[in-house]
Amino acid sequence: MTWETIARRDFEMAAGAGSRKLLLGLTGLSVLLAAYIYPIIGVEPITTARFGGFVTDWLTTVLPFVGVLLGYGAVVNERESGALRLSLSLPNSRLDVLLGKFCSRAGLLTGVLLVSLAGAGILVVYPFGELVIGRFLAFVFLTTLFGSIWCGLGLATSLVVATRRRALVLSFTLVFLSVVVWGAVETALRAGLNAAGVIDGDLPGPAKFFFGLEPGHVFQRVVSGLVTGGMADGPWYLNEWVALFLLVLWSVGPLGLAYASFARRDVS
Amino acid sequence: MVVTLWFSFSVRNTGPSTIQLFPHMMSMAAIDASAVSKRYRTETALDRVDFAVEEGETFGFLGPNGAGKSTFINMLLDFAKPTQGSVSIFGHDCQSEGVAARERIGVLPEGYSVYERFTGRQHIEYAIRSKEADDDPVEILDRVGIRGDADRQASDYSKGMAQRLVLGMALVGEPDLLILDEPSTGLDPNGAAKMREILREENARGATVFFSSHILEQVESVCDRVGILQNGELVAVDTIEGLRSSLGGGTKLVITVAEFVQGMLESVRAVDGVETAVTAGDQTIEVTCVNDANMDILVELHSLGVDVVNFRTDEASLEDMFIEYTGA
Repeated sequence: MTWETIARRDFEMAAGAGSRKLLLGLTGLSVLLAAYIYPIIGVEPITTARFGGFVTDWLTTVLPFVGVLLGYGAVVNERESGALRLSLSLPNSRLDVLLGKFCSRAGLLTGVLLVSLAGAGILVVYPFGELVIGRFLAFVFLTTLFGSIWCGLGLATSLVVATRRRALVLSFTLVFLSVVVWGAVETALRAGLNAAGVIDGDLPGPAKFFFGLEPGHVFQRVVSGLVTGGMADGPWYLNEWVALFLLVLWSVGPLGLAYASFARRDVS
Repeated sequence: MVVTLWFSFSVRNTGPSTIQLFPHMMSMAAIDASAVSKRYRTETALDRVDFAVEEGETFGFLGPNGAGKSTFINMLLDFAKPTQGSVSIFGHDCQSEGVAARERIGVLPEGYSVYERFTGRQHIEYAIRSKEADDDPVEILDRVGIRGDADRQASDYSKGMAQRLVLGMALVGEPDLLILDEPSTGLDPNGAAKMREILREENARGATVFFSSHILEQVESVCDRVGILQNGELVAVDTIEGLRSSLGGGTKLVITVAEFVQGMLESVRAVDGVETAVTAGDQTIEVTCVNDANMDILVELHSLGVDVVNFRTDEASLEDMFIEYTGA
């Protein structure tokens, strides 16, 4: 299993970079800050489970950026410099490279999220909050999964293009579409259809499902269904279990497609 | 008697499978290329290259820049995939069984770069872990002559030092085959000599050595056989001796005369067995020919009234042969 060797080497290098330390430090700090503010401005009861609902908006905005920033250069940097040729001339497969890089980068983010969410839990519970351990652990797991999805999307761009610049542009396009454009289009469509009198209030189920495919939406649906318990009624395909399935699909699908392209192409 | 009986029994009953039971007893090529081609959109980088490198030999892969040497090595390492044909290392297809093919080899690729923020020692340690070997990193760094720089970041190394480092990575785990793409790139003459010495030691240990080069001198001094690649085609594969004899005996006659005479070169060229005849300087004629023609040439010159001051024979150097083959 040489992917472990690659993961270890990448981790030693990636964790050492100053810019990455800053990026991850700020991410952790922002989670702690949210946990500090939540008992002050949140609505009673203050619990670790409801903290999940409070912080998801922030996480769905920040983690995509942090994730792709960690992932986008992972392979393409080495392809551009030629270090990838050194790795692949050893008895490593391209799948080893993918697994090693993913474990290293997603592991880095997961570590930071685990530590900062543990700290956040303490800040929420002490002095007046309530610890709802099961749901909080589910929230921690879902958050690390969501972070890994965006690391994976960054890594996927790293696998399919030939230069660092293109990987950066492509991954930021994804983040921009997902975080900014997708929700705006949904809102505009709803407003338009309402104004035209086609619908009254919400979009029909299939349209909601379509707009709900975006990873941030999926993450929020799973969190509200499994952690905070604030899921609205609707057709079965909008429930939290379908959303959980979609979340898992997001974590393996794009990487799988990117790998298929990476495995086929020449390392020039 | 017992052995004979057993043998005849096994041949009669299990015939072909007896051989398949012991594949390691059959000789297996270290590298086997069968009609391998690589085409890019507009150009053919390799055209039906077909040859084998036998276990234990040192094979030099020669050709001018752009002849397709690196393309071939890229396919051995599965950096590139053949458009047609296949290549294998110790019987493992380089594309479908890439990891198995690379398990017993050491590689010095072309166009690599060292890892950022990693010292020389960490590079060797990484190769040791990847190959699941148990070498001593310091010993290897010492062998390639960069022990003193073991704990410096390799990205600060000079090109020559990086080349030594990656050679060190290639030596990890006593590989059965070394594949080196232009190994002397960036090395000073001492470094190049050291490289050749290491290649000889590795070959003496039993490793097969395959390397590409456009510098003929180093190929000539270490190789058992050479292959010459030209515009993607393999134009010759032979021992250096074999190449010599296939080039008209490979003798070069260097004749110093008192003065040139009109029609002299034409007459020499007309002698049986002469391949080329050219003047070099004011008083020298260089003739390549079969060995038997030496005296005939001198007789011809004498009959033309040319005063032969001196003459000597040279064996054709690899460079002469290379120029002959590639028309450079």
